[in-house]
Amino acid sequence: MTAPLELDQVTLTVELGTLRLEHPLVDASGTFDVMEYARRYCGDFFADFPYAAYVPKTVTADARSGNPAPRVTETPAGMINAIGLENPGIDAWIQGLPKWAALRRPVIVSVGGNSPDQYAAVVRALEAHLESAPEGTAPRIEGYELNVSCPNVAGGLQIGADPAATASVVAACRAETTRFLVAKLTPNVSDVTVAARAAVEAGADGLSLVNTFKAMVLDRETLRPFLGNRTGGLCGPAIKPIALRMVAEVAQALPGVPLVGMGGVMSGLDALEFIACGATAVGVGAANFTGFEAPSRILAELRAELAARGFAGPALARGIALGA
Amino acid sequence: MTAQAADDHAHSGQWAETSHCRVSAVRRFGAFTALELVAPAVTAKAAPGQFVMVTVPGGGFLLRRPLSLFSVRGDRAGLLVEARGAGSERLAGLEVGETVDLAGPLGSAFPTQGVTNALLVGGGIGCAPLQYLADELATGANVTAAFGFRDFRAARAAGAFAIERLWVASEDGAIGRHGTVMDVLAELDSPPNTVVYACGPAALIGAVQRWTLREGLRGYASLEAHMACGTGSCRGCVVDTTRGRLRVCSEGPVFALDEVTP
Repeated sequence: MTAPLELDQVTLTVELGTLRLEHPLVDASGTFDVMEYARRYCGDFFADFPYAAYVPKTVTADARSGNPAPRVTETPAGMINAIGLENPGIDAWIQGLPKWAALRRPVIVSVGGNSPDQYAAVVRALEAHLESAPEGTAPRIEGYELNVSCPNVAGGLQIGADPAATASVVAACRAETTRFLVAKLTPNVSDVTVAARAAVEAGADGLSLVNTFKAMVLDRETLRPFLGNRTGGLCGPAIKPIALRMVAEVAQALPGVPLVGMGGVMSGLDALEFIACGATAVGVGAANFTGFEAPSRILAELRAELAARGFAGPALARGIALGA
Repeated sequence: MTAQAADDHAHSGQWAETSHCRVSAVRRFGAFTALELVAPAVTAKAAPGQFVMVTVPGGGFLLRRPLSLFSVRGDRAGLLVEARGAGSERLAGLEVGETVDLAGPLGSAFPTQGVTNALLVGGGIGCAPLQYLADELATGANVTAAFGFRDFRAARAAGAFAIERLWVASEDGAIGRHGTVMDVLAELDSPPNTVVYACGPAALIGAVQRWTLREGLRGYASLEAHMACGTGSCRGCVVDTTRGRLRVCSEGPVFALDEVTP
């Protein structure tokens, strides 16, 4: 083990494909609403944005009203949610861009849909808008994250559970943009590397993983499913060991592909573990629900964890869990 | 801390978040516990109807729990807790001297401007924010409150309230009027300029909404919902309204009575 470093000897900058990030932490889609934070912050939140890039809540071609209540509840060492991709649709979403145009970080737009056409329609609409949008009326949109944990209209299976469907979605979006394109993989498969490989072969520049685990919680009085949607996605510390294993498997199967690792990151050490398993960037999700200061705390902890181990930057720790 | 590390933490202290709020008093009323916390950052900005997100101490709990402000006196914030699950059981069991972290005040407040006659209608734990509202209204308005409780154990919560004209109903008849809060409303004489403030389960909100419509009164409803973040990000707590699906934590919890669709 190398000698510890001073905190300011650690440089947190990372290159996620073509994106240059000030540090490895990004928010997990759907867990961090920039406008809600901005209105509660005593200062310029767009300047002080704590994540290195912003991944907004998934947007789809048409407006969606989402799932019936209840949509969330706590589980042992985690939580379950079934929001149902509630969003205003891409046209209304684009109308809202000027409100957060002052954000100084790169934005990775999370895209959802139920067919390749629906995903491509979102990317196409946004590319067309960015082409003509006057200076200062839109944030720095530098990439897309394809949320393939949506049911496929053709068959009903999660798109991400079907490598061919995943590849079709990636290819359809690849045809619409030259920006950084990431596929967000579902963990609800027996071998996550199959869809990972299919996505990269179809033109994805990187991968993010994992999305939530399909799960169920019962009402303790009635013994019926608690969530309005019956099932939901499990996240939080309970899933971290499985997520680490999956990130490591993909890192080993597809060396050199930029990865955003996530699943139950609550601390800087958790983030460092994802980096050790091969992730370049790390998504923070449920931790955002524990307090406004979670991202800046986790970042400070990550710096301290790197320094304590003598790593001058995240790249030096990347993948060290993958060796013999 | 080095300059660089300090920069990572540049956001500290810029949020309405208060760590280590000490529990200064605890009173128990059957299924309910009234907590008083030293929380000057919360009380300085609070208004009736708003809520706080409270960490559940002791580890093992991920999400904070949303609790309405029950009272505000100086730097003391009062909360009323009903033990419903493991997290609220832990909060209801807090003792003087223990500490919790709070975020808040959050959400919308009950409008009170120009109100001269107020009728406060609560059900169960939903009565909590109405005490703070009654305290605030007491200086300029005639305040009448009608609270309904399920049974004797729940109705012991009535002892936590200090409202001059408070009518209580219990469904098992153990305390107050035998029946629901709607039976109490039917017997009250409410002047036409009365503003109704309702808080409780969806069935109560619906009944109060229909009653005010019949009586030609206007009012406000504070809604309950399961929340994850409590601060607008997760969309876990949305409700249907005439303005579309809105977040109880962010656009609410207080809505106009005629815009909610319970």
